[in-house]
Amino acid sequence: MFDRLDFLIGEAFVALRRNSWMTFASVTTAAVAIFLLGSLAFAYRGVNDYAKSLPGILDMRVFLRDGIGTEQISATANKIRSLPGVESVYWIPKDKAWAERKKTDPNIPPDLANPFPHSYKVVLKNIDTADDVKRYIAAMPAVAKDGVVYLEDLQQLLTQVLFLLRTTGLGLGGLMLLTSGVLIYNAIRLTIMARRREIRIMHLVGATKATVVLPLLIEGILQGALGGAIATFLLWSGHRGLDSLLEHSTSLFRLPALPIVPWLLMLSSIGAAYGLVCSVLAAREPMQLAWLRAWRWRRHDRSMGEAPAEAA
Amino acid sequence: MSRPSNSMDANAPYILFDDVEVRYSELVYGLRGLTLSISQGEFVFFVGPTGAGKSTVLKLLTREVRHTGGSVSLRSQSLDELRDRDVPILRRQMGIVPQDFGLLPRKRVWENVGYAMRAIGKTRREVRKKVPDILESVNIGHRADAFPHELSGGEQQRVAIARALINDPRLIVADEPTGNLDPAHSLEIMEILQRLSDRGATVLVASHDITVVERMGKRVVTLEEGRVVSDERPGPTPNLVAVGAAVGEADDPEEAILSRLPQPNVAEEEA
Repeated sequence: MFDRLDFLIGEAFVALRRNSWMTFASVTTAAVAIFLLGSLAFAYRGVNDYAKSLPGILDMRVFLRDGIGTEQISATANKIRSLPGVESVYWIPKDKAWAERKKTDPNIPPDLANPFPHSYKVVLKNIDTADDVKRYIAAMPAVAKDGVVYLEDLQQLLTQVLFLLRTTGLGLGGLMLLTSGVLIYNAIRLTIMARRREIRIMHLVGATKATVVLPLLIEGILQGALGGAIATFLLWSGHRGLDSLLEHSTSLFRLPALPIVPWLLMLSSIGAAYGLVCSVLAAREPMQLAWLRAWRWRRHDRSMGEAPAEAA
Repeated sequence: MSRPSNSMDANAPYILFDDVEVRYSELVYGLRGLTLSISQGEFVFFVGPTGAGKSTVLKLLTREVRHTGGSVSLRSQSLDELRDRDVPILRRQMGIVPQDFGLLPRKRVWENVGYAMRAIGKTRREVRKKVPDILESVNIGHRADAFPHELSGGEQQRVAIARALINDPRLIVADEPTGNLDPAHSLEIMEILQRLSDRGATVLVASHDITVVERMGKRVVTLEEGRVVSDERPGPTPNLVAVGAAVGEADDPEEAILSRLPQPNVAEEEA
């Protein structure tokens, strides 16, 4: 077992050494891509956590029209509760709201009629769903005109920041990830070219497809995982530097913690999985996937009328 | 066929081609209705001009090429429905010797053989134990630490044969094994193949080297345009070991080989 692993991993390392410059290019590009994605994900999570920590930022107040019955109040609450992005809905009866108001303001004349309508307190799951939830609730027949109130400006600002982080992360990080994917793909293709003699000999002596392909997949996994590990180191260094800068400049804001081991495991795993996907794509010819071959045969048969010969 | 097995009917041919057709495209054929049976332990040469189908016959057995008509069986097991995942199992039953040697230039002789063994799952210990014996069996043990570029063509082909022996095959398939060699080295290779045949292996050789083929006195199947045009059974077997010994004593090894090997029938050649 270990002897087998030793051979397969040894083959992968021979390939990495033989294509050292290509390996360097693909690993560094993967590192930059994963670093970008990782840092933007970290920032996104930080902003989201910050937003959630602000009092009332996820709360929304919904005022209902006058003359609404209990049944409609209950039905509307259920509808709101079923909306995506809504955590919970609490009904605040008009009498209770008025009693609370009078408790906080003793100058209110005792004979003044209750001006409050029935209302709900709606708690959101995420800040970036607020606009959609507001639009849906405002359109409900039981809800008063302009009856949805929340910290719109702050929420919108934070939503825009999150949107910016998300689009930048997906755009820039995705582009870099695509580039690194192409580089890993090319590195594996170059390996196949450079090792065509070995692969041919493996085929001649009856090596299994797994023996031919596994070193190529290991090569891709190693490249991706190494890129993920370097990205974690960059992220950790950047976090330390920025946190130290903030510590000396202001005491108002600090970065959330970045535990190195979980992040290392997470980013390396992402890199390894990505490297695996790229290497599977690159190695698909030596793998000669059975279903792909069968499909090609069927397609060829249809065009030829019957099955032609094919080199294995 | 699910997978090749070791069992076979004692009376059945070892290899059977039955009306085999290989068609590469609508107009290009590799073989057209080839029917041929080969017994266990036979030594068979396939000869013919380029494109006659010699290599295709061998590649059908190694499953580098699929037939599009007829049927092919090895050890009474049909190869018609052989699944892709069973091809490595099939190839482990045979030793394949390519024309171009296929040696790894950065590996030493013993490493070339050891690498192939490792590729089929043998351990380091098995490699250390078996490689010297294999190299000795093809008389290349003394060059075990040499790199391929330090070897002559004949020595390189001997390493290729050594590599083909790692599975202790009962079938040797050699495609133009002497194609790149001079007559002296061709003789060395034939001597080794003869020795393997003497030990009971079935040996199939595609060759266009008519001189060597005729002097070996083995069964010769001549192909033309994908068809068998003649199938000549063997005559007397030459004593290649004696001839080989004489080569080293002669001033002109090539002439010594040609003079000591059985001469072809001149009358037939002229006819």
